Amino acid sequence: MSSSDQLPVLQVRDLQAHFRTRYFGVNREVRAVDGVSFDVRGNEIYGLAGESSSGKTTLIKTIAGLLKPPLEMVGGSARFAFLPEWDAIGRAPPEVVRRIRWRHLSYIMQGSMNVLNPLRRVRHSFRDFAWRHLGGSKSEFDTRAAAHLERVRLDPSVLAAYPHELSGGMRQRVTIALATICKPEFIIADEPTTALDVVVQKEVLGMLRAIQREMGSSVLFITHDMGVHAALTDRLGIMYAGRLVEDGETPEIFARPLHPYTRHLIASLPRIGDVEQREGLEGTPPNLAAPPPGCRFHPRCPLAMPVCATTVPAMVETLPGHRVACHAINPGAAA
Amino acid sequence: MSAYPTYFAKRLAQFALVVFIGVNLAFVITHASPIDPVEQSISAVTSFGNTAPEAIAAMRTSLQELYGLKGTLGEQYLTFWSRVLRGDFGPSLSAFPTPVSTLIGRALPWTAGLLIVSTLITWVLGNLLGGLAGYYQRNRTLKLMGVVAMGVHPIPYYIVALLLLIVFGFLWPVLPITGGSAMNLQQGWNWPFVSSVLLHSVLPALSLILIGLGSWFLGMRSLVSNIVTEDYVVYAEIAGLDSRRVLGSYIMRNALAPQVTGLAMSLGGIFNGAVITEKVFGYPGVGTLLVDAVYAGDYGLVLGVTTVSIIAVSIGVLVIDLLYPLIDPRVELR
Amino acid sequence: MLVILRDLIRYNLEFRIGLVLVAIVLVMAGLSFVSPYPPGEVYLVPPDIPPSAAYWLGTTSRGQDVFWQLTFAIRNTLSFGIMVAVLSRLIALVVGLLAGYSGGWIDRVLMSINDTFIIIPLFPILILFYFVLRDTMSTPLLAMIMACLGWAYDARLIRSVALSLKTREFTQTSIFSGMKTREILAREHLPYVLPIVFSTTMNNMNWSIGIEVTLAVLGFTDINTPTIGGMIYWANQHTALVAGIWWWIAFPVALVVMTFVGLFLLAVSMNEYIDPRSRLARMGGSR
Repeated sequence: MSSSDQLPVLQVRDLQAHFRTRYFGVNREVRAVDGVSFDVRGNEIYGLAGESSSGKTTLIKTIAGLLKPPLEMVGGSARFAFLPEWDAIGRAPPEVVRRIRWRHLSYIMQGSMNVLNPLRRVRHSFRDFAWRHLGGSKSEFDTRAAAHLERVRLDPSVLAAYPHELSGGMRQRVTIALATICKPEFIIADEPTTALDVVVQKEVLGMLRAIQREMGSSVLFITHDMGVHAALTDRLGIMYAGRLVEDGETPEIFARPLHPYTRHLIASLPRIGDVEQREGLEGTPPNLAAPPPGCRFHPRCPLAMPVCATTVPAMVETLPGHRVACHAINPGAAA
Repeated sequence: MSAYPTYFAKRLAQFALVVFIGVNLAFVITHASPIDPVEQSISAVTSFGNTAPEAIAAMRTSLQELYGLKGTLGEQYLTFWSRVLRGDFGPSLSAFPTPVSTLIGRALPWTAGLLIVSTLITWVLGNLLGGLAGYYQRNRTLKLMGVVAMGVHPIPYYIVALLLLIVFGFLWPVLPITGGSAMNLQQGWNWPFVSSVLLHSVLPALSLILIGLGSWFLGMRSLVSNIVTEDYVVYAEIAGLDSRRVLGSYIMRNALAPQVTGLAMSLGGIFNGAVITEKVFGYPGVGTLLVDAVYAGDYGLVLGVTTVSIIAVSIGVLVIDLLYPLIDPRVELR
Repeated sequence: MLVILRDLIRYNLEFRIGLVLVAIVLVMAGLSFVSPYPPGEVYLVPPDIPPSAAYWLGTTSRGQDVFWQLTFAIRNTLSFGIMVAVLSRLIALVVGLLAGYSGGWIDRVLMSINDTFIIIPLFPILILFYFVLRDTMSTPLLAMIMACLGWAYDARLIRSVALSLKTREFTQTSIFSGMKTREILAREHLPYVLPIVFSTTMNNMNWSIGIEVTLAVLGFTDINTPTIGGMIYWANQHTALVAGIWWWIAFPVALVVMTFVGLFLLAVSMNEYIDPRSRLARMGGSR
């Protein structure tokens, strides 16, 4: 695992993002991301795990500056190394943002079935996304695109096809090729393999890892599938109800999960030869419009103590390179 | 690409079906009626004077033949179809002995010109404005346009035509309100005639356009506001594409595809509107021809215009259907 | 259902306006039952009097009180529209649901026929009907003919709802849990189908009334039963505009426009309320 020791490519400090809606006379403020801090280093794959309503997608939208009402960034920062003057993309002016989009920061979307313009051939999408960054004449660019596709082991004839003529897995791989053609420093991958079957999933993940290794980019990889995290990521962060509860190197997290929620996630993974009964967690994820005070996990936590209901636990480096936010593990550490 | 021949075949089959059902419908209606058009015509012609019984009998026979009403129902059916295919509907009673097909041939260019031009303007302008309104949802001018469109769109063609007639006929008479061109001009490609034609077509076209704009505007606006949430649009914006490119190539293009289908489906309705608009403004198209034919009891002309309208609209739909793959290559899904 | 109505009235301007317009129209129609003058007779009052205290909307050249004539006209026009709407709903539902649920060749055949009726220009066909039926063409007959011709567009909409319902997961769940088809249709699917039926009813009424008005203006219907189009027809026969009797045309036109716009606004606002994506747009969830 080679992670760079220099300044992290992404530094997130105490990030907060809320959904504010007003409809039919009802005001709601959903605190989807409520004080998240972590780093992503150069040349690493950082995974983000957690169940459906944990705020993972909102977090990356905020980081990538994709804020549209009712989603608003309310506080904190998410600073990229390639944009040091601004503490968050969402706060930079549009011309600056346009320059970095795709060239330094690209995005692989959830459910990439439909991300390419269905009425245009694939090569037009490539031109739309990357030509303005890479320059050259149209034919020069087309040649470069074809070369890039070959390098990631895709048939360049794909460029002449329409999206609906390609299979789901093929489309996803084309999207990865599209997201990497400008060799961005940072790639956000939001559940890219969720809709694919296991065999295709393996190919797609392999492709992603190979590209990452070759280009030395950083990837922020979101999925709820712990098995994928185990296979792919260098470091891993666990999110619950809009907060980060644990993070560290992936093998370390799997070997020694500290937070009760993490332990539950990992224990729920099936293992060959293991015939134990699995138990589900009691209760349901909290309503983020009216979240529980203190540690948001405490209503469901087997280790809950009185302090958990009043004070938010701070993220403390409990073991080298392994942080966790839990009163049971780090007594007396308040946020 | 290999799906295109199947697609074309399907559209041609649909065209044939429409023409078949339509023409048969015309036949059924006219032959299932309790009223005998021959007797009708005879009474219309002889009501003002004394006609000898032999003359009436002679008229009856010749009319029966002219109207294709001789023989059994089966024979009449075959006669009917052979005439339709030949384009021969017999002579017009109200303009005897001019053949019906000549009258239709004279009127059709007027209607076609009016319809094609006003439909194109309406469709293009309505979709453009509606698309902008769906994208720039905070823009006040566009919002206002939306309100106006909502108010005008449900009003039927007749009333708009009537209102325009009142405004430009009585209140502010700057535009001609009847006829296709000034009466005394020689027809042909000379400027006085052409400009007169254009001037006379302004009001009919305007009433068709005003109504049509509303419906395309509203439809496009709703399409666009849904499409902006589609994955491929969001992705293009994430990638920092120029918003004009996103609006044009990603949003509008995808929204126009169903609007092209919508155009094909609404040709019938647009034609209906043209019929009544022509009558209001005395525009010499097939609409006026049809209505006047009914007043005059001219059986052959009414039947002829109806049949030709069905076929003409079907051809229009077919043309649009065949052009559709140019904008949306996903024809296997249709 | 009532909650929906209450929400719509409170928060949706278009619905409120539509409701007010339709209410006015309905009140006018209802007043016809207390009219002091019978509808079909002429020369009951002094003709050509402008709107005044005695005759609120003036009188016509045929010696009828415009206001009270209008109440009958709008009542007949509305009942005509409702007749067509109800009949064509039945046909549209049968065709749409059958095509959507059956799929396969039944769907294809039905849709080909359906599209035929969408494409064929109905106006010339109606004129042809009038031409051959002449004086035997009564309003109910016209309503039936129009219902048999005007179901196609809405049948397609209903079919697409049926198609999406058929493949939804909750349908499979219901089947697997042993619900009878009848139950599934009534309890699970009807709430999705009803809103479409309702809003298409409004649009259908606009369509049919529009055609009736147009046909009547041309004199192609039963002109002795007072309808909006009929009033305009008679006004034209007496060259009311030229003679300056503007109130004979203006008020029927105004009332029928109110009807059209009102029904349309109701349909649009119900549609928007039902579609969750447009609701999100209203919440400020888009640009």
